[in-house]
Amino acid sequence: MFLHIYLYRLKCIIRDKQNVFWTLMFPLILATFFHLALSNISNMESFTEIKIGIIDNEELREHKEFTEIIESVPDLFNVTYVSRTNADKLLEDGTIEGYIHFDGGLKLFVRESGINETIIKSFLDDYMQTTSTINTILSQNPAAIQDGLPDSLFDRKDYLKAGSAGKSEPNTVMNYFYTLIAMTCLYGSFSGLKEVTALQGNLSYQGARMNMAPVHRAKIITASMSAAITFQLLVVSTVLVYLIWVLKIDFGNQTGYIALTSLISTVTGVTFGTFISSVNRKSEGVKVGILIGTTMTMSFLAGLMYDKMKYIVHTKAPVLSFLNPANLIADSFYALYYYDTYTRFFSNIALLCGYSVLFGALTYLAVRRQRYASI
Amino acid sequence: MIIKVNNLVKRYDELIALDHFNLEVREGEIFGLLGPNGSGKTTAINCILSLLKYDKGTIEIYGRPMAPDAYDIKRNIGIIMQNVAVFDELTVYENIDYFCGMYIFDKQRRRELVEEAIEFVELDSFRKFLPKKLSGGLLRRLNIACGIAHRPKLIILDEPTVAVDPQSRRKILEGIRKLNEEGATIVYTSHYMEEVEEICTRIAIMDKGKVIASGTKDELKGMINSGEKLTVEILEFNPNILEGVGSLPSIVSVDYNENNNMLVAKSRRGKNNLSALLEYLRNNQINVGRIYSEPPTLNDVFLEITGKELRDHV
Repeated sequence: MFLHIYLYRLKCIIRDKQNVFWTLMFPLILATFFHLALSNISNMESFTEIKIGIIDNEELREHKEFTEIIESVPDLFNVTYVSRTNADKLLEDGTIEGYIHFDGGLKLFVRESGINETIIKSFLDDYMQTTSTINTILSQNPAAIQDGLPDSLFDRKDYLKAGSAGKSEPNTVMNYFYTLIAMTCLYGSFSGLKEVTALQGNLSYQGARMNMAPVHRAKIITASMSAAITFQLLVVSTVLVYLIWVLKIDFGNQTGYIALTSLISTVTGVTFGTFISSVNRKSEGVKVGILIGTTMTMSFLAGLMYDKMKYIVHTKAPVLSFLNPANLIADSFYALYYYDTYTRFFSNIALLCGYSVLFGALTYLAVRRQRYASI
Repeated sequence: MIIKVNNLVKRYDELIALDHFNLEVREGEIFGLLGPNGSGKTTAINCILSLLKYDKGTIEIYGRPMAPDAYDIKRNIGIIMQNVAVFDELTVYENIDYFCGMYIFDKQRRRELVEEAIEFVELDSFRKFLPKKLSGGLLRRLNIACGIAHRPKLIILDEPTVAVDPQSRRKILEGIRKLNEEGATIVYTSHYMEEVEEICTRIAIMDKGKVIASGTKDELKGMINSGEKLTVEILEFNPNILEGVGSLPSIVSVDYNENNNMLVAKSRRGKNNLSALLEYLRNNQINVGRIYSEPPTLNDVFLEITGKELRDHV
């Protein structure tokens, strides 16, 4: 009996084109747009070598150590040796961001001020300061050259070791995708709504017929909700596969925990839908509107449209962070990706389980009533 | 007794939908619940089926109190709702199979029953169709198949022919008769008196949430003073004829339709009413054409008891 109801309800949900579009196609489309729009942000944040020119003249050849030093940092500078005339031309058309000219001393020419120009200037300042120091030492204590002082002066050591709070590099773009998955899980609420409508005699004619069947209410509800959860799990899995394999979004390699998060979150989404559907007697259209409104608001507060929103909510109204299932879902993925420990992850999962039980219990209390005041 | 309802009261705030409603349905009969729209037929059915809460009264089916969890009773009931209650995402076959599967657990048996139901409503060529591809009449037939596939002993049909074309209506009525011949007890609600009169063995007439009369159609017609309706074509009409016919002791009321020259007289219950009218016309040398005599209808019964036409409410 359970299997009979479950399979047919699953068939109904899968064949509902509108439901499939909103729960599956919409997140996939949104993910594609996010990827197209946000990959540029990632690219902007990555550092590329600064293109500079060096005027190739006799004086430069006299400062071989300068050429050696500047060529020792290929990750920082992309060097082109040019004549003065060509250097001006390259600077003008933006091919290089500045050029260095040994002309009775070291001179830097740039077109405008900016981060890259500041980096070039800092590098040259450092070089000039170091060479000046060496010259001073040599004039006062020539023996120091035997002790290898010049090498140690050019040698840069880090005395502070930078450490990461998490196991992955910070990436502001990731939160958009976490929230997108959270939204997808919560869209399970639409299937939940559909299921409750189909079994409530006061909400649909089919529900009235179901009420006449000699089957225990709990069995029908469980089978229907299981069908909705199965469908939504398939949807979330498809979205995850698309994000990981097609869009190459890195979610870390904790497949088990990702699956657990998806399962719990989907259950939360479906039970949220059954809860909203069972506790009010408005038309299905109104209920769908309520679900769209609430899931979108929750996703917005979790950072779907603006990545700083999660931080703002967390600092200004921290309670909201714990009340918002979308935030808990997104934060679970966040915790998995960044943190070495699982405390935060399991706190989120525990809260999501709590919400699922609460929504499920409230749904049952509302739906188990088999006689209606009006139909 | 299959169904026994005693003093059922159902209120919607100030509105009394069922006012001490009583009903008895016997095994093997086709019981008609006739009444105008809003008379409480569907409310009564929903209360009997334990879908609706009610304020007072008792309902017994098969001698046991009906309740939402009376699964052994529900197992023997088939319900065909006024509105089509099927799933748009499932085909004709799947819809019947889904609802039948709520009652029949054995797959092989269920398959046979679904096939029989499809054959019964003549939807074999449409078995793979989705409901939205079916016409109104075919949809109604699917609705019936979903309600009867599990071979219930008691079938309740709530206005199954609303908005159905004459051909489908005929098939539905024939189907109901067949189900009854095969042993099912039928409860049939309608506001179409012709249908009720045609197929029902016993009838209860409802108005304002009450049963105002019940019995076989002959018993119901026997309750009223009106006799047959006499219709005579008058070839040369004059107003004195109306006065003269109206003064006959066997005539209750008389009217004349100028468009078709028909004089319509309603007689009292009794014998030789037509002879008395024809004798009067012959004695007064009034030339007549066509002559009809129709026995009283359920509408006449309703009219005489409530003072209003059953048709007015349709």
